[in-house]
Amino acid sequence: MSNIVDEKLRKIAKDLLESGEVSLIIGYGAGSSPRRTRPVFITDAKDAHKLSFNRHSVQDLAVFLKKAEVKKFSKIGILVKGCDEKAVNVLIQEYQVSRDNIKIIGVECNGVVRQNLADKGESSVSEATVYDKCLICGEHRPLIYDYLVETDEPELKLSGALKPYTKIEELDAMDPEERNEFWRKEFEKCIKCYACRQACPLCYCSRCIVEKNTPQWIDTSIEEPGNAQWNLIRAYHLSGRCISCGECERACPVNIPLMLINEKMARDVYNMFGYKSGQDTETKPVFGVFSEGDLNDFIK
Amino acid sequence: MEERYFEITRENLKKFVDSLISGGSEVIAPRDRDGDTFYGKIANFDEANLDMLLPKMSYKEFLLPKTEILFEYSLFGTETEIKDGLEYARGANKKRVIFGGRPCDGAAGRIMEKVFNWDYKDEFFNERFKDLAIISIACEKPDNYCFCMDIELSPESSYGSDILLKKDGGKYFATVTDEKGMALITPCMNLFKEISRDKMPAPKDWKKSFDIEKTKEFLDKNFEHKYFQERFLSCIGCGICTYACPTCHCFDIQDEGGCKEGRRIRNWDSCQFSIFTLHASGHNPRVTQGDRYRQRLMHKFKIYSEKFNKYLCVGCGRCSRNCPEDIDIREIAKDLADME
Repeated sequence: MSNIVDEKLRKIAKDLLESGEVSLIIGYGAGSSPRRTRPVFITDAKDAHKLSFNRHSVQDLAVFLKKAEVKKFSKIGILVKGCDEKAVNVLIQEYQVSRDNIKIIGVECNGVVRQNLADKGESSVSEATVYDKCLICGEHRPLIYDYLVETDEPELKLSGALKPYTKIEELDAMDPEERNEFWRKEFEKCIKCYACRQACPLCYCSRCIVEKNTPQWIDTSIEEPGNAQWNLIRAYHLSGRCISCGECERACPVNIPLMLINEKMARDVYNMFGYKSGQDTETKPVFGVFSEGDLNDFIK
Repeated sequence: MEERYFEITRENLKKFVDSLISGGSEVIAPRDRDGDTFYGKIANFDEANLDMLLPKMSYKEFLLPKTEILFEYSLFGTETEIKDGLEYARGANKKRVIFGGRPCDGAAGRIMEKVFNWDYKDEFFNERFKDLAIISIACEKPDNYCFCMDIELSPESSYGSDILLKKDGGKYFATVTDEKGMALITPCMNLFKEISRDKMPAPKDWKKSFDIEKTKEFLDKNFEHKYFQERFLSCIGCGICTYACPTCHCFDIQDEGGCKEGRRIRNWDSCQFSIFTLHASGHNPRVTQGDRYRQRLMHKFKIYSEKFNKYLCVGCGRCSRNCPEDIDIREIAKDLADME
């Protein structure tokens, strides 16, 4: 799409690989259609020309930092949008990745096109075509970076007519039974492929709770109540940590609106503890610290 | 049974499907939901979306339920009661018709049937498979992820479908391949007009884009090739490819329950998960995601075809369309064929 952006990031990648500062660059490259990009792994400066970034670069590449095969490279350069970069911050904050071993190549982003729309031919960036996360994006430019590639995409125009995650308010207004019914129907669709977990940059447990069977915490059957157990436990494990990249929802093959859960939890954590995840690498995780100011009215 | 051929107008097709429903059949068809199309029960013909290419997921759950109960047990004092799970499978598809799916989906059951009857006869699968009626509609426009023509099928193949419909000039031409198909249309024979084979629209000349035999030849010789490790660095092991696949059939047997009651079930599973091959000793023969995606390719294009003379793939392209990291199996099969 933009040669200037691509040229700039290729140059950065090439320099980093040539100088030996990193042994691997994780970036985007051409995908299976003009409206898709895919992750590419560059280890040789000669291949830097394969890198490209555009409005279809939906993936959160930070997910690869948890992968054993990728960790072997030890010094890694990674291309991140503002939303994705927050995942790198949490990984550093939670001692999964060392800041010294990561070169963050931030790309400025003014919204990415929803993949299901792009697959049907959509290629324009507008408030009707981007993800909800883009509508409330506060990090068009990544918060932390070693290199920055500025975008030449026009700023995303918001008329205010489209409100992100409106369903959250609708759900909040429902009585518990109605709300349960809504989620029962959604979780009924779940096929327990755990793609939400695999696509999540922050679901990095080497053994997930669903794989533990002494005792069996979560029913293995792909039906209720096991489906709800899985989705709820994941929601709790991500609350105060999820950085709203939306990869779980994008990956979900049966279209469960998982971001309604994650976003709701993020709002609750913010309202109760004034904490937003992924803002920096130094702050202690909200559930990793005790503060005298913490809400304690749930202790009766 | 010899194939029989019929002509039916769109109007009569609607009447036919609606009469199946009013006659007590559960008709599963492509339906729009959440901005995509999925197979689901329809209340009438108009609820079906017959213009889409392919539903996002397959309908294999009707042959291989996501969770299949093998048996249930309960204890009363010193008495034990066992209920055979086969009771749930028996007759489950007696009145179920898949309507409006594509030839690729229609072929899947017949391909899977081979492994379910190889040495052990899987009664659960067989019970469901023998009853499930399949009315497929030939594709007019495959997309770039489709490759049925490269995998010994075609957008108008009747393999595995009881009835294959082909749209031509405002009406449909039906190929009825077996007794199950005849049983479906017999009560509504007035809606169909029998024609001779030469009145059927001629098949189109579907071009192949690569030689799948060459893919297999590569796999025969290059188990340790670095391609697998490099190409699948981008695989996150989410397993969507296997869950969306109409022919992937791996399952995991689990027990649920306690000392009073419980059940043995088999759940969908995936070779893309690292714990799929994890031994109790801690050893894992498939260490990397490259090892695991290679296994998927091997199983589909080499092992299954050697054993059963059929590729374990119908070329529907679902794994590629649904892959969050844009791994395109057609492109990979073609890459391997070209490297051979």
